[in-house]
Amino acid sequence: MTITEALRITQSVPRDARPFAVTLVCGFTPLHLQTFLGAHLQQALPDRKVTITLGLYGNLVGTLESISDAALPDALVIALEWPDLDPRLDYRGAGSWGATAVNDIVVSARSMLDRIAAALLRIPSGPRTALSLPTLPLPPLFHTPGWQASQHELALQSSVMRFAADIAQEGRIAVINRQRLAEQSPAAGRLDLKSDLYTGLPYTIEHAERLASQLALVLAPPAPKKGIISDLDDTLWSGIAGEVGPDVVTWDLASHAQLHGLYQKLLGSLADSGTLIGVASKNDPAVAAKAFERKDLLLRPEQVFPIEVHWNAKSGSVARILETWNIAADSVIFVDDSPMELAEVAAAHPGIDCVLFPKSDYQAGLAMLRQLRDRCGKERISKDDALRLESIRQGAAFREQASGGATPESFLQQLGAVVTFDFAAAGEPRVLELVNKTNQFNLNGGRYTQPDWQKLLSSPGALLVAVSYEDKFGPLGTIAAIAGHADGKRLTIETWVMSCRAFARRIEHQTLKILFETTGASEIGFRFTTTAKNGPLRDFFTTLLGEEPQSEFRLTRSQFEAKCPALYHEVREMRRAEPHG
Amino acid sequence: MDETRQRLTNCFQVVFPDLPQEAIATASTATVAAWDSVAAITLMNVIEDEFGFEMDLDDLADLDSFEKLYAYLQKRHRVA
Repeated sequence: MTITEALRITQSVPRDARPFAVTLVCGFTPLHLQTFLGAHLQQALPDRKVTITLGLYGNLVGTLESISDAALPDALVIALEWPDLDPRLDYRGAGSWGATAVNDIVVSARSMLDRIAAALLRIPSGPRTALSLPTLPLPPLFHTPGWQASQHELALQSSVMRFAADIAQEGRIAVINRQRLAEQSPAAGRLDLKSDLYTGLPYTIEHAERLASQLALVLAPPAPKKGIISDLDDTLWSGIAGEVGPDVVTWDLASHAQLHGLYQKLLGSLADSGTLIGVASKNDPAVAAKAFERKDLLLRPEQVFPIEVHWNAKSGSVARILETWNIAADSVIFVDDSPMELAEVAAAHPGIDCVLFPKSDYQAGLAMLRQLRDRCGKERISKDDALRLESIRQGAAFREQASGGATPESFLQQLGAVVTFDFAAAGEPRVLELVNKTNQFNLNGGRYTQPDWQKLLSSPGALLVAVSYEDKFGPLGTIAAIAGHADGKRLTIETWVMSCRAFARRIEHQTLKILFETTGASEIGFRFTTTAKNGPLRDFFTTLLGEEPQSEFRLTRSQFEAKCPALYHEVREMRRAEPHG
Repeated sequence: MDETRQRLTNCFQVVFPDLPQEAIATASTATVAAWDSVAAITLMNVIEDEFGFEMDLDDLADLDSFEKLYAYLQKRHRVA
């Protein structure tokens, strides 16, 4: 991106778009960083108008200490550089570089990092916060020649890393990955000394652009993909199992097939983080099953579901896997070593992300592994991530039994279903995650930043209910959230989402019943909007209303009770909310 | 309008989107309030993007009007 392109992007936003306020805190003049950050964020948040406010020049810690609850931005960016830790590390500074100074710099930098950490941790939770650690080269003030690291330099680096590790552990502040930044912006090309000395702009344009790009990704990350569907032969392992035999396919170093082993390890790691892994392979099912019995497989068989192995088109396998997972093609990556198979699946499933497994190109193989991690990686792992695959297996068993002869009523009666309503879930990250990634049972498709979400929940009369579910097939975890406002006995719902894993259990009916009962409302208003994907929610309300909802509507208690089917859940209430306002 | 003048006008439109088209040819740091030291650097970067060469920060202080920038670009063009 050039400066011109960045300016055009920021200028093309409608003036009446909802603002997204960012405070950029740094000690230098961040002109280019500001321009590029604005543009990259604008691209990531096309329906918002990104505005960037700068902190005080030369006083990073002072700016951080002055941030108050009263005027919190939507996001906060802290671009730390060495001069923020000690002015003698500033090329523009006048301080001495002697041996005594170097010792003192190390001590004062530590002390400043402590002060910055305290200021950061004091900032109220709410703004999404990104921190970049010093990116510019240290001045040549140490006694060692440049090819040898001095103990003082190492002490400075170590202090910064300890500071960053403590900050990252706290969980509210995302730290920029220095290694990734170094790949994209090599160290030698970062400092523009003339620009720094003449105008106080230390970053080269290229460095400012790359750092801004990474900061924007941290502040507004793309939604992680939910699943990976993989081929088997020459992808999950090296060799054609049907030709050489399931005992002879390899994925180890000795066979020069380690790339396949690394791929298996990555899939296993992603599965542990809640990414769904399925298989679509043209193969003999018995042969593939034999290979999956091998004890040296690095991806545990129980981490893979479903497995579609036959000789029919892979697009059909992908369709069935998507149906079992109940997610859309654009949430999934399909990996295969055959460009033809990738093309066949891509044509049948628009939006699916097709990735070629480069079996003999190791650099491309490493790039693919990193690409998969980037697209599926998550900032934090919730307990619901660990439950996801198991609940899908249970869902498949659920559907099989539900269609297996017993009447729906007797089947639901025998489920032993327990629905738990938590009225004090405002601080649960899983709830906002659910709101921001659920498409099908979604009242209006609204997405929230953390500050917007907090504003909604802290306004007078705010109501949030998180819903968890389990039955004899196992727990589904937190599967629904409903948020709105109560004004006396008038209740308005702003957001309602439910995971597709929880469909067909009448949880949505139970939720409305509980809402009517606990609030005493005689009717509930819904801020409904039709989206391209919220057909299941639309169908649910069509049944209750007797007509398809077109826009915002109200549902009376008597309308609901007239159409509500029998409910067999045991209902538990976990926590009561403290009243707002 | 010759090509260089037109391209320079485009640069001004990007950096000063609120400046009326007819005011660009006579624009200078004295007539455009938004043309401060920061905008001057941005303008320099946009001109670099548009014309594909690097400008020297030493020249920046003297290039304080549209006409001076136009003359500078013509000179650079002749040298190139």
